Amino acid sequence: MLPRESQTLTQRNIYIVPSRAGLAFCLTLLLLLVVSINYQLSLGFALTFLLAGSAAASMHMTHGSLRGLTLHLKPLVPAFDGDAAVMEMVVTNPGASRLGVGFGLDLGARPIPLAYAEIAAQGQTSVHLGWLAPGRGLHGLPLVRAESRYPFGLFRAWTIWRPAGQQWVYPRPESPVPPWPQTDVAQGDDKPAARTGAGTEFEGVRAYRRGDTLRQVVWKKAARTGEMISRETAGAVQREMWLQWGQAQGLDTEARLSRLAAWAIAADAAGHSWGLRLPNAELAPAQGAAHRHAALQALAAW
Amino acid sequence: MVTPVTDTVAPRHPLARSTWRAPSRDARDTLFMLALIGWTITPHLFHLPLWVTGLSLVVLVWRGWLGWRQEPLPGRATVLGLLGLAAVLTFTGEKTLVSKDAGVTLLVVLMALKTLELRARRDALVVFFLGFFLVLTTFLYSQSFLTAVGTGVSVWGWLTALTLAHIPAGRPTIRQAAGLAGRAALIGTPVMIALFLLFPRIGPLWPSGNTATRTGLSDHLELGSVADLASDDSIAFRIRFDGRAPAAARLYFRGPVLTDTDGHEWRAQSLFGGRSPRSNGLRSVNVEQRGKPTAYEMTLEPTQLTWLSMLELTPPQSAGRGVDASQGVQALDGADVQPLADLDLQWRTRRPITQRVRLRATAWLDDRIVGAQPADLRENLALPPQFFPRTRAWARQWLHDHPGRPQQGQAIDVDGVVQSLYGYIGSGGFSYTLSPGAYEGDPVDEFWLDRKVGFCEHFATAFVVVLRAMGIPARLVTGYQGTDPDPVDGYYVVRQSNAHAWAEYWNPDRGWVRADPTAAVAPDRIERGRAIQPRPGFVGNAIDSLSPGMVERMRTWRETLDNRWKDWVLGYNRNSQFDLLKKLGVSTPDSDDLGRVLMTVISVAALFGAGAAWWDSHRRTPGQRQTRRLASALRALQVHGVQVAAHESPGVVAASLRRRFGTAADGLAARLESMERQRYGPAGDAAAPDWRGVKAQARALAVALATAARAGGVTPARASP
Repeated sequence: MLPRESQTLTQRNIYIVPSRAGLAFCLTLLLLLVVSINYQLSLGFALTFLLAGSAAASMHMTHGSLRGLTLHLKPLVPAFDGDAAVMEMVVTNPGASRLGVGFGLDLGARPIPLAYAEIAAQGQTSVHLGWLAPGRGLHGLPLVRAESRYPFGLFRAWTIWRPAGQQWVYPRPESPVPPWPQTDVAQGDDKPAARTGAGTEFEGVRAYRRGDTLRQVVWKKAARTGEMISRETAGAVQREMWLQWGQAQGLDTEARLSRLAAWAIAADAAGHSWGLRLPNAELAPAQGAAHRHAALQALAAW
Repeated sequence: MVTPVTDTVAPRHPLARSTWRAPSRDARDTLFMLALIGWTITPHLFHLPLWVTGLSLVVLVWRGWLGWRQEPLPGRATVLGLLGLAAVLTFTGEKTLVSKDAGVTLLVVLMALKTLELRARRDALVVFFLGFFLVLTTFLYSQSFLTAVGTGVSVWGWLTALTLAHIPAGRPTIRQAAGLAGRAALIGTPVMIALFLLFPRIGPLWPSGNTATRTGLSDHLELGSVADLASDDSIAFRIRFDGRAPAAARLYFRGPVLTDTDGHEWRAQSLFGGRSPRSNGLRSVNVEQRGKPTAYEMTLEPTQLTWLSMLELTPPQSAGRGVDASQGVQALDGADVQPLADLDLQWRTRRPITQRVRLRATAWLDDRIVGAQPADLRENLALPPQFFPRTRAWARQWLHDHPGRPQQGQAIDVDGVVQSLYGYIGSGGFSYTLSPGAYEGDPVDEFWLDRKVGFCEHFATAFVVVLRAMGIPARLVTGYQGTDPDPVDGYYVVRQSNAHAWAEYWNPDRGWVRADPTAAVAPDRIERGRAIQPRPGFVGNAIDSLSPGMVERMRTWRETLDNRWKDWVLGYNRNSQFDLLKKLGVSTPDSDDLGRVLMTVISVAALFGAGAAWWDSHRRTPGQRQTRRLASALRALQVHGVQVAAHESPGVVAASLRRRFGTAADGLAARLESMERQRYGPAGDAAAPDWRGVKAQARALAVALATAARAGGVTPARASP
């Protein structure tokens, strides 16, 4: 089965068989029929046949409760090892409201646990399905199963969808966050600090810009000319921080990755510019969510 | 690791909590199911022992209380204990556990007790199937129209409960579930009708001993048994005469003829067996032919008995008269009953009557059986030695005192004696009542000489005893007498309450003569053919005082409905199936034809289902429909690079056309824009969208573009900015 980003349920991909309850119902009908024949009960025949007819109609209703739905996978959110990876699916319903449609992930457990949703007529519902990935790394998605036994439970209709996409699972960050590595500046090839922000060292003057602090304003000049002039100063000494494999010595591989992940998240939260150096990969110092994800992905894939 | 997110809890208004707390969905579903179980077992409570009613009610209410309070259910030991108790009670009451009544009793109790094990909605499947079976058992006792309506509600309810159990998310209302269940049942109804009409009806797969309740005459009589029957207002059979109906006083329907008595009980001689010496003698019934024939048609209710009560006298074909085909008794519609008569003109069938049967027969109301063998007559003189001493003495005395006593060498003047006995009954202080009270000791002596209060059976048995004591061969005949006064659909109704007993005595010159002593004491009973009516109940009294005759009229309506119901639904059998096939054009229908027609119908229905599913899968939302139509209308422009995306409305497409092709696209764009206004503009412009115009314009534009391209000129697409 090819992975698809979305799947519309049609006759081609909905399967339907009688459920165990359906087989039991069949036996019940047989019993009713035998009693009706033996006691020559006209109304017994009517009852038996009405139930048989309703069961046949329910087969169509069961199939119809899946038919026409479109399953669509929303962008995946990376998870940390040990946490549930959550797939968010949007179920679009072009027809009448669907009751009792269950969604689940095929992870090998039987019966597959299902989350039931009610999908309004011509509406959309999002369904969150969580699963535990086997470890850090990039994983294929499990099969999604949508199942319905509505209305009488006599038939089980289901579809299987292999959603296109891969789930990142990052190493679990160590908690609590270990202290910063002391060697970050001492490393020999550290470049001089970049000066960008608001520091104290005087460098020159320029016209006032919104956001300059009162202390930056050259008040003497302002009093003389009536123009607001600001001092331009050097920013705080911001070193580029390097997170390195060797800084987490004395631990096994997974613990090292955990510690590096914790540092990376902490550095990102503190707004530092940081880089990551692994034995086989290096990420230049940078900031922001994309950088954090790139680093965590590198750690996850290591 | 699955997280349902759609299950939301509606915030409750803070004030609502203090007044009335809506039950949780589980509690509500449980209560609904308990009410449904109550409704389903209600018809059974009328014929089951009282303790069943009590136990079921207590268990259901208890379970309802637990469900409401959301308290834990009792343990397995309690349930098993109650079940054991029920089994013991059933066994002591019914003396068995395998009879029909015992089975139904256990089923009802089981159903009630199973609710105590009802933990999850989905665990309830056993209860559902038990429920459907319980509905079926209702039909063992009654298949009336009212029962059908009541059980129809039950079935709907059970399907609703089943639906509720399979909508796990949210809080669907019961009305919603009932609508869905009703829809499934409604779609299933044509299947039901087809199967009902065409599913081959076959006889019982194995003989079931005690099938339904047997009401009607039997081959023995104890005092009080006819009175029991007479309080039963159900219909025994219906009769329609070809010509005018004879007077009610002449309508005697001859059932079992009871010859042997042990003093308490009167028995018929076994039929068709070799015991009776008469099987060696006459081979055919001797009937003295008098009067004109009366042809009639009878519709018998399924009494589960083998006795027939034919109009007196209905001789068999072999009775030695000028035989024509209309004689004897014939089953209509090919019913497999084979009516047979013996020498006493008792009619029986080979097998119990399990379905409605129509019979056609001819009676001679004035006929009499003649030519009895001396051995037969001796049997009709036998009296058990220790019984009726006072009545015998009285009879001898009466014969001695009254005219008609045998002189030396002369025979008794039988008719004269019988007349004098009529006189004695008429003037001797006898009274006729349905409830004479119990007779102890020697019932005939007590009745004839002391209490003189009785019902037709008392009069008839005493009469036979007196005649036998006088040396006149006599026997007891049971059957029905009279009909309801007015015909329903041309049929006169004969009820179990028309059950009657009379006597026959042997007159050497005339044969067996009917003597009905009841006529002497209660002529009204015979002449008007009116059965004794038990006194109407309180409601009946009230209705009757408001509008005289109302009760009677209502009964007539009800019975007309009932008759139609029985003819069309309950009486639908194998023969009706073959009739249906004949109407469909099958000349000699058999079971294979039924199967073929049924398979054809089922195949067509399946095709219909598949068609509906196909149609449903091509269902589109209005937006999707519009996009598809737009794309297909603009297909001519596809070669020029025009694509309609799913999110583009006609107006958006028009704007892009104008951008690309400039004024050349004006006509098409204008039409698309008007379509846009129709769909999204303010109300008022309600004309249907002009798809044909759009298509034509698109083709024209495509042609124009192609011409321009061929001319080698600059394409309009590049010409426009």
